[in-house]
Amino acid sequence: MYNDIIIDNFSDPQNVGDLDGADHELEIGNPVCGDRIKVRLSFTNNHINKAVFRAWGCATSVATANIFCSSIEGKTVKDIAQRQPHELEAMLGELEPSQHHCLNILAELHEKLAAQMNIGVA
Amino acid sequence: MDQQHLSGYFDYNATTPISNEVAESMIPAITQFANPSSSNRYSMLSKKAITETRNNVAHLLNTNADKVFFTSGGSEANNWAIKGVLFKHTAKPGHIVTTEIEHASVLDTVKYCVEHFGFEVTYLTPDESGSVKISDVKAALRDDTQLITIMYANNETGVLQPIPEISQLATEHNIPLHVDAVQLVGKRLIDVEKLAIDYLSLSAHKFYGPKGIGCLYIKNVHSINPLIHGGGQELSMRSGTENFVAVIGMSKAAQEASLNVEQWDIDNWACKQHMMNLLNAAPINIKYNGTTAYDEALSNTLNITIKGIRGEALAARMEIIHSYIISIGSACSNNKSKNISHVLRAMDMSEDDIQSSIRVSFGRFTSIKDVDKFVTSLIAEVQRLLAISQG
Repeated sequence: MYNDIIIDNFSDPQNVGDLDGADHELEIGNPVCGDRIKVRLSFTNNHINKAVFRAWGCATSVATANIFCSSIEGKTVKDIAQRQPHELEAMLGELEPSQHHCLNILAELHEKLAAQMNIGVA
Repeated sequence: MDQQHLSGYFDYNATTPISNEVAESMIPAITQFANPSSSNRYSMLSKKAITETRNNVAHLLNTNADKVFFTSGGSEANNWAIKGVLFKHTAKPGHIVTTEIEHASVLDTVKYCVEHFGFEVTYLTPDESGSVKISDVKAALRDDTQLITIMYANNETGVLQPIPEISQLATEHNIPLHVDAVQLVGKRLIDVEKLAIDYLSLSAHKFYGPKGIGCLYIKNVHSINPLIHGGGQELSMRSGTENFVAVIGMSKAAQEASLNVEQWDIDNWACKQHMMNLLNAAPINIKYNGTTAYDEALSNTLNITIKGIRGEALAARMEIIHSYIISIGSACSNNKSKNISHVLRAMDMSEDDIQSSIRVSFGRFTSIKDVDKFVTSLIAEVQRLLAISQG
């Protein structure tokens, strides 16, 4: 079963797409479950003004990609890197044990974004 | 759930909806409290109903009622057949022949006997069609083979194993044969006497009966150890007061199946052909896993790999957006080995293909119109997922 956050973000993901002339790209893959997510970003004045994704994976990981993209628009990478683990948990809502790996996916997206932009995570 | 609202249910191999007739038959049984084993005037009705159930199940299998033993379902029947036969040989444990595609209640029981009692086992691998070869069964037999346990119809692919030929081989070599027929009974006609099977498992909830009740057919009661010792029920082979309400439900389910199994099969086959025609014409890249021929697979099951999508995500969209229920070949998890279908893996499918697989199974409450709507939704959701992953 999926919680309402996952259902909303999976059944009608608003941030799916490509971004011509993207300023930045992130790509992650989970070797265990095989999920793959690619995120493209564009910046304006140090703020992410657009974040889109492509994902091949389970319902929760597709939802996770959408949650990540929608949550970073309008923010600086520095702000995003400040997020605490409990905040990431709240972003996905209550998960079943089989869905917990998506928390790792969300954390990895944050870590990779911060690392690629040379900003330490919280 | 009302049967007219079952048009979205495409997971009959997991469990079938209980039929209205079965449900109605069980209601008066709830207050029928008398113990069938007692000798008072109240118990006579219970005893009579138990006898009638045994007759109805025997009729479904084309055998005699004294060879039908009630269990709590398919898993218990499988456990009983395997342990009941092998525990007669613990002083000199020999060899078991089974397949890699059995239900967990067979695989885990065999493993238990191997690990705790020193039996040896040969696991047969199916070919791409999903079936084991009779030549492989023959080659696996040894002088000390004490049991062959092979399923009739696979729950994930619907593929039939060559049970008539295996039975002939078992008879020639005087080796007991147990057949897990949980997925076959109620979907195809079966004649255990003609097939000369020694033990056969069935479960009522796979043919529109209640959960928690099933049977083990035992050809020769002296060939197997009792399962539960105690009050002497089931000819002292499986003691314990009967689950009367469930037994009554199974009685009606067996009666309905005996009368209708051929028509259900014709209707299922029409639905399967229609579904395949629609899918074959659709602009999606699909592959059927295992043979789909009438003589080689159940008429109600299709296992399909849809390239480019994840089965779990497709099943989720089908349920969330359209209220359809289907099954998948691989659940999402941190533990890969536990969640990849052992059946599809045994058929040498790649991990990607297994993760892109779904199982669709239907039954007596599915119409051609339901199939039309289902396939339309399926194609739309596959295309949506492809758009999410590829653009």
